[in-house]
Amino acid sequence: MNVPETAGNGPLIDRRYVLGLLLRLCINTAGGVGILAVILYLALSRPLPGDYAGVFHALRNLSPFLRPILAVSVLVYALLACGSTSALCVYILHKVVGPLYRMERILDEYRSGAITRTVSFRNGDQIQPLAQAFNQWIGALRHDRQRWLATLKDTERYCLQDEATRRSNMEGALRNLFEDMSRYH
Amino acid sequence: MRNLSLPQPRPKIRFVSPRFQGPAVLAFTIIIATGGAVFWKLVDSRFQGVFRSTAIRGHYAFDSAYDIVRDLLAWHLAGLFVGVFLAGSILVLLIVAVTRHSVGKAVDSLRASADGDLSTPTGTCLLGEFDRFGEKIDAARADTLASILKIRGEAAALAAGGISAEEFHLRWDELKQRIREIAP
Repeated sequence: MNVPETAGNGPLIDRRYVLGLLLRLCINTAGGVGILAVILYLALSRPLPGDYAGVFHALRNLSPFLRPILAVSVLVYALLACGSTSALCVYILHKVVGPLYRMERILDEYRSGAITRTVSFRNGDQIQPLAQAFNQWIGALRHDRQRWLATLKDTERYCLQDEATRRSNMEGALRNLFEDMSRYH
Repeated sequence: MRNLSLPQPRPKIRFVSPRFQGPAVLAFTIIIATGGAVFWKLVDSRFQGVFRSTAIRGHYAFDSAYDIVRDLLAWHLAGLFVGVFLAGSILVLLIVAVTRHSVGKAVDSLRASADGDLSTPTGTCLLGEFDRFGEKIDAARADTLASILKIRGEAAALAAGGISAEEFHLRWDELKQRIREIAP
């Protein structure tokens, strides 16, 4: 089985969707790093004392405070970046998750025997060929079902014939039905 | 007994699926947290050394501590950006590849079903969500195949003869009803 990107069905996942996702990730990451830069700038840009001894002591005393400053800065960065990336992930991936969830529901309904509708996804949703393939399958099944029923009903039209002939016709139709169904395996 | 009553309301599309988006969010969080931890570790050790050596060296031609570490900080921030973005991009491409592969298998499976193959397993990716989805497709196909085989067996039994006319007509009507229940 090859991964389908066949003509007429379009790709499973649009290239523009992937590029958009990467672009948003880039902007998100840049934003996070920018916020970290601003926090560190604000923490480290306080003017040093004017005299030589003051600067020396300020620099020497900066070391013990550096670790917590960095820790808090990185923590803020991580929280903001994780939050925004998670939101981005949920927002972008719902174009794949939504159709998958919908298909799951439809498959459950199909198995329960409920009437199956033609599946269609929203505009901009990915994995559109999945809906087309499902509709194609259900369409083929319905087409076969109609043909099988037509075969049986066609035989019933000979109701005015004698019982033996009628029975013989019906058994012939059943054999045809048996043969016709053999394509399913 | 299958339910052939009125059609159910059109199902809504859910936006959030913790089974699918959860692992992706977790993976992004791990990348960001790892990037932040590496950044913190590197910058901390480098800045400690730079401030110590600058204090000892003298010639304080700067206004703030930021002026001392500006270039170093810029390089580390650029490194953090590149590292997190590259790792995130690889993850995105991985998610896309897995989705393409797994959904592609599902599409192939449904197309094969339209041609009559209802028994070959879908064989989606072993990742939880896709594996479960493949199993649902296989279950739907298996149900359909079971119905068709049952009808086929009944047709063969009726065609074989040796049944009374009354029973034959009864089973004939039942057979038609079973056929009507395929893909309602």
